[in-house]
Amino acid sequence: MTSVSTSAFYDRFNLDMSSLRSRAEALQAAIGSGNRLTRSSDDPVAASRMRTLGRADAFAAVDLSIAARASSDLTLADSALMSFTDSLIRVQELATQAANDVLSASQRAGIATEIEQISGELLRLANTRDSAGHALFGGDTAGDAYTLDGAGNAVYIGTSSASDLPLGDGQSVTRGLTGPEFLNFGGTNLFAVVKGLADALAGGAADPAQAARDALGSLDTGLETITTQQTVIGTRLNWIDLNTERRTQMGELRAQEEADVGGTDLGEAVSQLQQTMTVLEASQASFARLSSLSLFDFLR
Amino acid sequence: MATDLLTIAASGVRAARVALDVTAHNIANAGTSGYVRRSVQLSELASASGFGQVGDLSFSGVRIEGMVRNADAFRQAEVRRTGADAARAGTELTAYQNVEAALEQSGLFPAMTGLEEALQQLSIDPVDPSLRTATLEQARTLARTFNLAEQGLTTVADGLHFAATDGVDQVNRLSAELARTNLQLARSTPGTADHVLLLDQRDGLLGQISGYADIATSFRPDQTVTVRIGGTSGPQLVAGGTVDPLSLTVAGDGTLSFSNGTGSVTLSGGSLAGQAQGLVLVRDSRVGLDAIAASLIASANGAQAAGVALDGTPGQPLFSGTTAADIAASLTSGAGIATAPAGASAGSRDPAGLAALRSALSSADISGQIDGLLFQVSSATQGRATTADALEAIAGAAQLALDQQAGVNLDEEAVNLVRFQQAFQASSKAIQIASDLFDTLLAIR
Repeated sequence: MTSVSTSAFYDRFNLDMSSLRSRAEALQAAIGSGNRLTRSSDDPVAASRMRTLGRADAFAAVDLSIAARASSDLTLADSALMSFTDSLIRVQELATQAANDVLSASQRAGIATEIEQISGELLRLANTRDSAGHALFGGDTAGDAYTLDGAGNAVYIGTSSASDLPLGDGQSVTRGLTGPEFLNFGGTNLFAVVKGLADALAGGAADPAQAARDALGSLDTGLETITTQQTVIGTRLNWIDLNTERRTQMGELRAQEEADVGGTDLGEAVSQLQQTMTVLEASQASFARLSSLSLFDFLR
Repeated sequence: MATDLLTIAASGVRAARVALDVTAHNIANAGTSGYVRRSVQLSELASASGFGQVGDLSFSGVRIEGMVRNADAFRQAEVRRTGADAARAGTELTAYQNVEAALEQSGLFPAMTGLEEALQQLSIDPVDPSLRTATLEQARTLARTFNLAEQGLTTVADGLHFAATDGVDQVNRLSAELARTNLQLARSTPGTADHVLLLDQRDGLLGQISGYADIATSFRPDQTVTVRIGGTSGPQLVAGGTVDPLSLTVAGDGTLSFSNGTGSVTLSGGSLAGQAQGLVLVRDSRVGLDAIAASLIASANGAQAAGVALDGTPGQPLFSGTTAADIAASLTSGAGIATAPAGASAGSRDPAGLAALRSALSSADISGQIDGLLFQVSSATQGRATTADALEAIAGAAQLALDQQAGVNLDEEAVNLVRFQQAFQASSKAIQIASDLFDTLLAIR
């Protein structure tokens, strides 16, 4: 004869109801936190994937700040180049005036003084600082990009190239321009041309008007070089924008995958919780009915 | 002696009385764990009334044979076997979960990502003192996280050692008690309440021992038990009144081995086996963690040595130590991080050294190794959880099967109460009739 012993009856109900309750609690925790995984062993593969995705998210945030920094440095470089262009156009105007044979020596000397002033401005522009306080056109140098030697010539003392900034996923962008990249042309540089012109107009040349006419050709080339480099900067800014856009899209994909892999499917979880609660209530009710059923109550 | 109605009725009353006592005892012990339902075995008492009077049967009523204990030895053995398996799996699972928590909650993976993030951030401006300090602090956090994970593992191992030592003590205490019970059993008379109580005690002790270690039992005719530990081929733990106590040895790497006077013991069930297996995982995790720490130290320090620090001097080691327990950030200031390549001047912004450091860390795949360790432990834990659930269910079913057969059912006892009460009343009636008959005889004048 098999009969259910009384303690086995209570034990079994106890076991059933506590397992139902713990299942309901796990579902409630998943709904409350929005995370399906409370520890790695809940789903080791998904947990590992979540770690990788979280890591990529962290790096993407750094990439974003690097891109912002590169972008602001390149914009600074661009506006500095604009100032160079403006100054250079002024020098061109002055040179055109000076090329006129009718000007007197004193008038040319006046023009020379203004060109010298502009030359100093150009040097200061070339030593512009970037957002971190380093030389914008000095490559990776710690100090200034240009300095004046004993004879008053501007000499480049920066490094030969600017370093690249990583943009994430193996992409990178060169953070800026070095001075020689946009100031050197045809074996000379802009400072030398401007200083030569100023010196010639100040009386250093036998035929200052001819010297001014010669300088005009060089100034044209210089202007052209700067404009070309502005295009380069524009292209780099575009490249950064392109990367930022791609990063945003990748971030959306990652967020989607994180929700798929580690998030709680609310609809499913709520309906499972409802089901568990229904079963729990039913078994509590049946327990109450069965446990009140004792033969002793009927024996009088 | 002729049939004596009064004696017969008196024996009936006595039997019903004892049966009622036993029923009440069963009801009183309905909730006692390990209590096996008792019943009274009765037999008829009849004999020839005297020599040569074969045809003349005389009835003498009922005799109480003894107490019967409704225990099924097979089901009890099943409960012990499945209980030992479930205890092993449960203990093992707890140990695995603790190791998992020690590794995961130390935040090893996020800390490694944090260091790589800081290095990436540093590439914006390698000479920025605040970025350098932030990077060094991340390195320090990572080193401390390794220390923390290692401490977590040590705590898990300490807990397991403590529990295992206690388990061995318990096995020896229970064995000594079992040996005493054996001696008492050999002396007591079968069928008496005392004997039945000793049998309950014996089975209870066997059940408790099997929670700690897997045992094989063999019962002698006098109901004393011989216990072998570690399965049927293991050494004897208890034989009659003698105990060969179990002892525990902790190896240098923290793993456990068991032995007793006869020789070494291999446990495959019980919480002691679970603790031994948990300690094997702790050892393996520790080896894995140390290997990752060593690879981090080697790759970071190698890259540091190849570059130059902010002041133009050769880079000094970023980490000191050799294992997860003693790894520490050894640079005193962020300026010591070798972001520039060899030969660079002081204050150089050249990030080639930094790039080399980052690529050294990524080619050593430290975060991949950490992820691998976490994955290994967590998938092992998941597997153990499934096994533990299954074994728990099997043990529960075996316990239920034993309870159904050996436990007390209150409804059944209620019926018995009524039945024996009626028997008592009927026998009392028989006494009254005997008395009436006697009075009738006396009334003849």
